Amino acid sequence: MPLEAPVEVMLAASAGNVLVWVVWVVAALALLSSGIAVVLFTNPFYSALSLIGNLASLAVLYLLLSGEFVAGAQVIVYAGAIVIMFVFVLAYLGGRADAPWAGGPTLQAAAAVVAAAAIALEVIVVIALAAGDQLSDTAEVTGAFGSPAEIGDLFLSDHLLAFEATSIVLLVAAVGGVILGSAMPQRSKAGAD
Amino acid sequence: MREPWWIDVIKAAVIVNIVMLSFAYATWLERKVLGRMQLRYGPNRAGPYGLLQPIADLVKLIRKESFSPTHAIDLLYFAAPVVAAFTALAAFSVIPFGGVWEIGGYEVSGRVADVSIGILLIFALGAIGIYAFLVGGWASDSKYSLLGSMRTAAQLVSYEVSLALSVLGVVIMAGSLSLVDIVERQQETLWYAAPQIVGLLVFFVAGVAETNRPPFDLPEAETELVAGYQTEYSGMRYGLFAMAEYVNMITLSGLAVTLFFGGWSGPVLPGPLWFVVKLALVVFVFMWLRATLPRLRYDQLMQVGWKVLLPVATLNAVVTAIVVVYA
Repeated sequence: MPLEAPVEVMLAASAGNVLVWVVWVVAALALLSSGIAVVLFTNPFYSALSLIGNLASLAVLYLLLSGEFVAGAQVIVYAGAIVIMFVFVLAYLGGRADAPWAGGPTLQAAAAVVAAAAIALEVIVVIALAAGDQLSDTAEVTGAFGSPAEIGDLFLSDHLLAFEATSIVLLVAAVGGVILGSAMPQRSKAGAD
Repeated sequence: MREPWWIDVIKAAVIVNIVMLSFAYATWLERKVLGRMQLRYGPNRAGPYGLLQPIADLVKLIRKESFSPTHAIDLLYFAAPVVAAFTALAAFSVIPFGGVWEIGGYEVSGRVADVSIGILLIFALGAIGIYAFLVGGWASDSKYSLLGSMRTAAQLVSYEVSLALSVLGVVIMAGSLSLVDIVERQQETLWYAAPQIVGLLVFFVAGVAETNRPPFDLPEAETELVAGYQTEYSGMRYGLFAMAEYVNMITLSGLAVTLFFGGWSGPVLPGPLWFVVKLALVVFVFMWLRATLPRLRYDQLMQVGWKVLLPVATLNAVVTAIVVVYA
């Protein structure tokens, strides 16, 4: 019964055959196992590499949902541009050092447990809704579904506030990066004097 | 109407082999072109005009002992060249090289895969390919390899942004991310090389940097870094990295032909032949650059990427968008 929701979604991808099933199972297993690997590896370099696998298998799930543009953007932006920064920094740090979180639970670990509990609750709610037949309607997938034009239209109409807020957050992050980057050498020079 | 799956399989097998063969002869052509431009003969011992030289090189690489550093991290070290070669070859699959023919009652199209997000797929595979260079250098456990792979990653990440933005103008004009649609729009109107000349220039400069070709070959600057991320690789593992670089260059040339020079369209001659002729010309320009220009310094590389190409590419995209909307 809990598996019913994904099956419905797959049928919505208009090719509900064995191949789609196989791809979905493989991608979902890869998604889960790479996600677990991200937290279990003590070497941060391997964690970052697992994160690439995680984001790539999520892109495969998007493909099954007919979200081709989202899948492509997911790989380019997250697996490509963002994780490469992690890998870049970790490779410079040697990458064979102990994980900074090794040695006892911290506030960070506690926060992670709380976040995981919240997501688990969400999953339970979704499964319960599926069991209650509220998610069993197959989605209408038209030809333009998930196209860049349609996504852009939604960004500038229904989700305008979230879209603009995100751009401000990113701008703040960029300014913060510049400030951190330009302040660092001066501080170390003052320390050396 | 739709072609059966086995035609797709045959096409994929044929195209992969043609791309690998053109990689082999691109190395021959490069050595010949460089030789002639430096008043030398280039390879001329193996076969007529040295035409068997790539075959001889292949046999040499395969028979060579593949050394690996004792402290290398095996799985990552072995997987890196494979991933690099795979992403390079896979990216070529969405580049269209001809229209649609009818062969034996089946409609056969001149492309391995017609994807609605063709350009994004090429960039996504390129983004994964960067990891191969970075991880290969890191897993080699060598200072030169690590520094080389760091340079590669920094350079590719910097120029990927300009490369993607320079393509945006073409995408806006064609109104599609599918490479087939873009070529067909150019057949209806004109080659985008004319209205998108700024985009073409940015695309080409960023493309040369993206493929680590001279004058942007800092990741492999032999005087500073031995051979960059591939220092610790030998035999066919090195061969796979070399193949990835050449195939990336061929794919990028194919992308330039498709986006700016009308793809397979042209008079009299059949489509695929036009595509190959245009592709060969672009590849020749890559080699010409290598013979002509000295290598950039690292700070110059970053200056060009972030302070020249990125603003120009952004401006080009914005102006194109305004013109398309209001004209």
